[in-house]
Amino acid sequence: MKARSHSLAAALAVLTAAAVVTGCSSGSSGTSDSAGASGGVVKLDFWGWAPGYDQSVALFNQTHPNIQVTFDKTASGGKGGYTKMLTAAKAGNAPCLAQVGYETLPSFAAAGALTDVTKYAGDAKSQFADWTWKQVTISGQTYGIPVDTAPMALMYRKDLFAKYGIDKPPVTWDEYAADAAKVHAADPTVYLGDFGNDSYNYAGLAWQAGAGWFGTSGDQWQVTLNSAANQKVAGYWQGLLDKKLLKTDPSYAPSLYADMGSGKVLSDVNAVWDAPIIASSVKDGAGQWAVAPMPVWDAANPAYGNDGGSATAVLKGCGHAKEATEFATWMSTNADSVSNLIKVTGIYPAATSGLGNPALAAPDTFYGGQTIFDVFKAETPHISTDWTWGPTMTQTATDVGDGLGQAGTGGTTVPNMLGAVQGKTVAAMKQQGLSVAGG
Amino acid sequence: MTTALHERTAGPARAAGARRTGRRRRRGRPVALFLAPFLIPFAAFYLAPIGYTLYQSLFRMHRSGLGLTAPTQVFVGLANYATALGDADFRGSLLRVLLIGLVQVPLMLLFALGLALLLDAKSTLFKRVFRLAFFLPYALPGVVGAIMWSYLVAPGLSPITTAAHHLGLHLNLTSDAMLAPTIGNMLTWGWTGYNMLIIYSALQAIPAELSEAATMDGCSAWGIAWRIKVPLVRPALVLTTVFSIIGTAQLYNEPAILHNVAPNLSSTYTPIYAAYDAVNADNFNAAATESVILALLAFVLSFGFLKLVQRKGAAL
Repeated sequence: MKARSHSLAAALAVLTAAAVVTGCSSGSSGTSDSAGASGGVVKLDFWGWAPGYDQSVALFNQTHPNIQVTFDKTASGGKGGYTKMLTAAKAGNAPCLAQVGYETLPSFAAAGALTDVTKYAGDAKSQFADWTWKQVTISGQTYGIPVDTAPMALMYRKDLFAKYGIDKPPVTWDEYAADAAKVHAADPTVYLGDFGNDSYNYAGLAWQAGAGWFGTSGDQWQVTLNSAANQKVAGYWQGLLDKKLLKTDPSYAPSLYADMGSGKVLSDVNAVWDAPIIASSVKDGAGQWAVAPMPVWDAANPAYGNDGGSATAVLKGCGHAKEATEFATWMSTNADSVSNLIKVTGIYPAATSGLGNPALAAPDTFYGGQTIFDVFKAETPHISTDWTWGPTMTQTATDVGDGLGQAGTGGTTVPNMLGAVQGKTVAAMKQQGLSVAGG
Repeated sequence: MTTALHERTAGPARAAGARRTGRRRRRGRPVALFLAPFLIPFAAFYLAPIGYTLYQSLFRMHRSGLGLTAPTQVFVGLANYATALGDADFRGSLLRVLLIGLVQVPLMLLFALGLALLLDAKSTLFKRVFRLAFFLPYALPGVVGAIMWSYLVAPGLSPITTAAHHLGLHLNLTSDAMLAPTIGNMLTWGWTGYNMLIIYSALQAIPAELSEAATMDGCSAWGIAWRIKVPLVRPALVLTTVFSIIGTAQLYNEPAILHNVAPNLSSTYTPIYAAYDAVNADNFNAAATESVILALLAFVLSFGFLKLVQRKGAAL
């Protein structure tokens, strides 16, 4: 009997040791609570993926000796970053701060992965565009600070547009379709644009048309992916696909940038943050590119789309929510930080003070010396501000992305895909116990 | 053969067992000490995750209203299993790996057996060079191989389709119909050498006298391969088949990498891909359920195959 209790104790000791070891390793990369108070310096961890965030963090650390932020680069949200954050929140060792897109914030709230910072963030509210504040406030609770918005525009090859007889970039979607046919008729290997598989880019096209995906009415969700307004947008793109007027390279894939470089794809309708991505990914044609407003449905009454925009969210279990909010507010509003984020990250600031930032007036050599932010600035008042994201966006976005990819190869159509995703999303929400109207 | 061996040893073993009980108390400590380095990691990293997966598959996160606050975990019994099996996408993914396995595994093993027999043949030159060359794809990390192939088949980038285009053939290696063959090709490229090596080492263990005797009796090289070598490497073939069945059931790398160039490949293409998709959507319970179903399927298939060949073996 004695022998057994000894071996049991030994086994327990080994297990405890193992637990301590794993505890330590996760602690160092995870929560900042434990180390926080030592020496009066609050240490915060910040997970994100955008280039340039680390430089803003360094600027903050220089001027705030009592709050030291460590930026850890993760994979981008959709490529595993969000999974890592959610898993860490579940395990109780999430960082205090995380880069979370507006579209994913409700999913994080639904997973219980966020800390309510309403009482610390109240003063900051007046410094941001109203609708961006709404994006970080869910059911009356504020979970983070907005960083940017993402107006969309048409980025195009000026020289090749001229070569194929397009004197000015298309103003309406009708003109876009006509130009697509014109280019393709002149050379069947050349396309005006690409129909990618990025669901959030597609959401931006729906956003522009006022074709919301989700809404709430009282305590009930409304899923409107398959609404008449959405079917109109889907029908337009399916029409172009049916006539094979668009290239179907995957979004942000090497093949797309190869096609852009070799002049096979002449333009892309994408968000402001995509402008530096195109500039760094497309090898040939620097200086020949330009940015024009996104084509609209009604030229007399223009409305534009938004694709992205993110917040610095405070995650669950943060022991220093006050300091975390202070940092997040500073990062989005401090002039030096915002300049850095505009130059390196390519953000369009959510803070109203940021819109006067001199970095927005800098000419861009890749875009032929154009002051590209002027285009986005002019669009901003015409972007709808009442878009609502659902609580199951990760799944919905994956399903829409799959459907867009399959529509590109003819496996389904965009209108059919929306119907299928609508059904799947409603079923998934009901299964989780959410109340949903419509099916 | 094996059963006879068991019967022979059963008697003395039982007697020894009786003697051992007397010593058990004194021996307990050292035994526990020696077993601990195995048992503790085994329990912590093998049994515990399996147990936790099974446990998770019986629960579901429940929300109410708009559900924008932390959910509660509720016990749902086997409801997750009903949902997973009722999901056409998940059933499709199971069927897909079954079909890919049904075509690809026999092809690859035939290929591996052929290469192994060629390497083992007396008249083959440069054996070492060929052995290394065939094995090389396996030495490359699977993801690297998959990335390489994804560029070789990507529309617009693929040198294969470009070459075919010049010959007047319009190939699209990532069209809906070509996805499975393309993945099968990636698997065959990556794993033939590995299986070949297992079969080849079994061939090496065959005594040279057998082949010599057969040659003396007038057996051709073909005859030796077919009547002597292949039956003798049967255990190696069974082993590689079981490994390949399990490997195909767990297919993930190749489709996940291929997705980057083939957006028509859905994110529920294979069961593991579907489970990973559920993890991304923060639905750990669905992911656990799908993992358990897949593990059961791989278990049934591999043990089913073992039973099948054992029964056949006994009949021979």
